[in-house]
Amino acid sequence: MGRIFLCWSMLLLLLAGEIVATQSGLDRMICALAVLMVLIIVIGFMKIFQAPSLAIIFAVAGLFWLGVLLMLGSLDSFTRTSFFTSGLPVSHWPWQSV
Amino acid sequence: MTETPASLFPERSYLWQDGTLRSWLLTTDHKRIALLYLVTITVFFATGSIGAALIRLQLIEPGGMILSDETYSRMFTMHGIVMVWLFLVPSIPVTFGNFLVPLMLGARDLAFPRLNLLSWYLFVASGLLVLYGLFRGGLETGWTFYTPLSTDYTQGRVLPVVAGVFLSGFSSIATGVNIIVSIHQLRAPGMTWYRMPLMLWALYATSVIFVLATPVLSITLLLLAFEHIFRVGVFDPALGGDPLLFQHLFWFYSHPAVYIMILPGMGVVSEIVSTFCHKPIFGYRFVAWSSISIAAIGFLVWGHHMFVAGTSLYAAIVFSMLSFLVSVPSAIKVFNWLGTMHGGSIRLDAPMLYAMGFIGLFTVGGLTGLFLASLASDVHLTQTYFVVAHFHYIMVGGMVSAYFGGLHYWWPKITGRMYPEMWGRIAAALIFFGFNLTFFPQFILGYEGMPRRYATYPEQFQVLNVLSSAGASILAVAYVLPLVYFTWSLFKGARAPGNPWAATGLEWQTSSPPPTENFARTPEVTSGPYDYATLDRLNRTAAEEAPHV
Amino acid sequence: MSDAADPHGPYETLRHQEETTIAGMWLFLASESLLFGGLFLVSLIYAHTRANGWAAGVRHTDLVIGGVNTVILITSSAIYTLAVEAARQDHKRRAVQAAMTAAALGLVFLLLKAFEWSKEFKEHLFPGTHFAITGADAGGAQLFYSFYFLATFLHAVHMIVGTGLIAWICLRAGKVNPGKSWNTSVEIVGLYWSFVDLVWMILFPVLYLVGRT
Ligand SMILES: [Cu+2]
Repeated sequence: MGRIFLCWSMLLLLLAGEIVATQSGLDRMICALAVLMVLIIVIGFMKIFQAPSLAIIFAVAGLFWLGVLLMLGSLDSFTRTSFFTSGLPVSHWPWQSV
Repeated sequence: MTETPASLFPERSYLWQDGTLRSWLLTTDHKRIALLYLVTITVFFATGSIGAALIRLQLIEPGGMILSDETYSRMFTMHGIVMVWLFLVPSIPVTFGNFLVPLMLGARDLAFPRLNLLSWYLFVASGLLVLYGLFRGGLETGWTFYTPLSTDYTQGRVLPVVAGVFLSGFSSIATGVNIIVSIHQLRAPGMTWYRMPLMLWALYATSVIFVLATPVLSITLLLLAFEHIFRVGVFDPALGGDPLLFQHLFWFYSHPAVYIMILPGMGVVSEIVSTFCHKPIFGYRFVAWSSISIAAIGFLVWGHHMFVAGTSLYAAIVFSMLSFLVSVPSAIKVFNWLGTMHGGSIRLDAPMLYAMGFIGLFTVGGLTGLFLASLASDVHLTQTYFVVAHFHYIMVGGMVSAYFGGLHYWWPKITGRMYPEMWGRIAAALIFFGFNLTFFPQFILGYEGMPRRYATYPEQFQVLNVLSSAGASILAVAYVLPLVYFTWSLFKGARAPGNPWAATGLEWQTSSPPPTENFARTPEVTSGPYDYATLDRLNRTAAEEAPHV
Repeated sequence: MSDAADPHGPYETLRHQEETTIAGMWLFLASESLLFGGLFLVSLIYAHTRANGWAAGVRHTDLVIGGVNTVILITSSAIYTLAVEAARQDHKRRAVQAAMTAAALGLVFLLLKAFEWSKEFKEHLFPGTHFAITGADAGGAQLFYSFYFLATFLHAVHMIVGTGLIAWICLRAGKVNPGKSWNTSVEIVGLYWSFVDLVWMILFPVLYLVGRT
């Protein structure tokens, strides 16, 4: 009961943090806060550490393959130097500044 | 495995315990669901084969024999979609997988029996939707649905077909979840991971792909449908969208799906090779882990389908190198099968003939894949018949051979009847011969530059095309044969004993056909998976104790 | 309620069955995360290759409704977690009450979402020939709104399924002796409900925040 309330308030705080970060234009900060919110839900609400250990294996596998999809899937777009119909060719990774 | 085979024989079989149609349609027995699937995918296999037959008929003449250009496009699309999603992807996992996973584990059923039945209904619904779309006009996009062809330009029935494939994905996911969770949770006492038959390792690896790749296909098709319905979407180049993004998403599923279409076959072949050589599989752990690594590496290589599509050179090089990696675990398997056969006393029954056919054809298909994984030679070979021949060697030469091998191997267990061995061998030989005659000329055609997906071709290619079509007609006869003698054997075949092949594995320790609850008592496993020494010793003792007649 | 499992089922004990069901649900959710993963790949790519148009789209979303909806979902998920705890302690009544509250909040979310959609339709923010945002970045903004509508639609479908599942839970609770397997169902549905919440925690910043200023 208490734990759930704690998670709930932390989520609301993080949400407020996201809004503040938006006003200051801190995009990376928003992403970091969103990841924290996801973690709170997974640990606090879905109780992954009380679940059978298989659940953790499955969750990690899903996360790993999600990473593969996002990284290998964006590899082409972020390294392409030709074949654009409009706009500037992009040749940098999202986390690098132009 | 210490239980003497006889002590585990129960009386009633799953086939006849309750014979009403209702009891079949509402069954949660994994064995009955496997049979429902078997009948269903046989219908789809026949449907897809008709498409193939028309394609080969058309290509006998350079100007085309029977079909208009547009009908031809619709025909190869129909052939591709039906064969991939309604036959090859489900084939072994939903039939032998459903039937055997609990038996091999020593369990009473899969982890989620009702989910299993649901997956069959989803599959039937998806098949009906696809067939509805294909027969009410069809579509000309090829099985890959590339945008913007499939969204803006097609005249065909995209939506019902896409909806059908979308549904079939959920059926696959359900099967995958069931198999993975069952293998983790329902192993009989003493059944450790390294005591599992290699079939289970292969099905586990396949299910990982089912569960983690199929959802990406679902979302891709959803995006496609969105774009098709509203004519504005995420891949539209006029808006600055990237049509290649569709291809990335599509192949993120569809390359691993290629392994869905071969890994279960590898599992079947491992079982058959071991049984008919009466020897444990050489390098068991390597074969087991190579299944897992094929599934894992298979997720990292999809870009090789897009080398000439205009992806970045950097991405192309990365994907090319990763593609070469997959050949390592595949080669491990081939060499370990050969190592198992080396020095064994090989029985050449029909299942073994199919398995040997598999090894040869898969090797050819695998090696020609290297030409397509190399950037330079792919530029020359891509979009030609070389590609067509390559993947048919894997999917038809490999997977369909393994499917038929498995069907012969487990037929006595499934039905309780033996098939006629002589006819089995004839069909196996015919399939091997017909297959090579059909597809080997296509390697040459592709190398010489004949593009795929065209209804007509220059005259210089006619000889090879006629050879290919001749092979296809032999193949057609060879596929009808088993249908005939399997049906015959249901009524007239000799009664099958519990273990007709002197094989190891828990599925052979129960009666043929097994009772509804699989085993009279939960079996206990005390030794490794291919322990022929113990099996032979038990058989000898049983023979000595038996009263002389 | 005895602890023996159904003799025709594949399990030896109910505990075994419960553990397996929960693990199976997690595997299904791993699968679901890749379903949304495909969508996020689209947004990841366009938000960078079409950054200006994408940001123009983000600026047009309604932050107030989005923010309120986020609060509602967080609360709903928290309350459903209370239902799971209550079911574990065999307080069936409390569990049903909490579950129904959570579902009601889910419905409020959907209503607000529908209102937001109708507002956007009126403002011509649905991609097409009369699209409201014009100029050099119009294409990117249309891509954003294609993504916006599809993503929120898919999420809403999950919400509807989740609400249906909760309704099913509550109906089953009315049966004479729902027993231990009911508690497991409550837990399974909770996992799903929280997952839908989790997806929104990523969708919200992607659709409303990142690139707004
Ligand atoms: Cu591939």
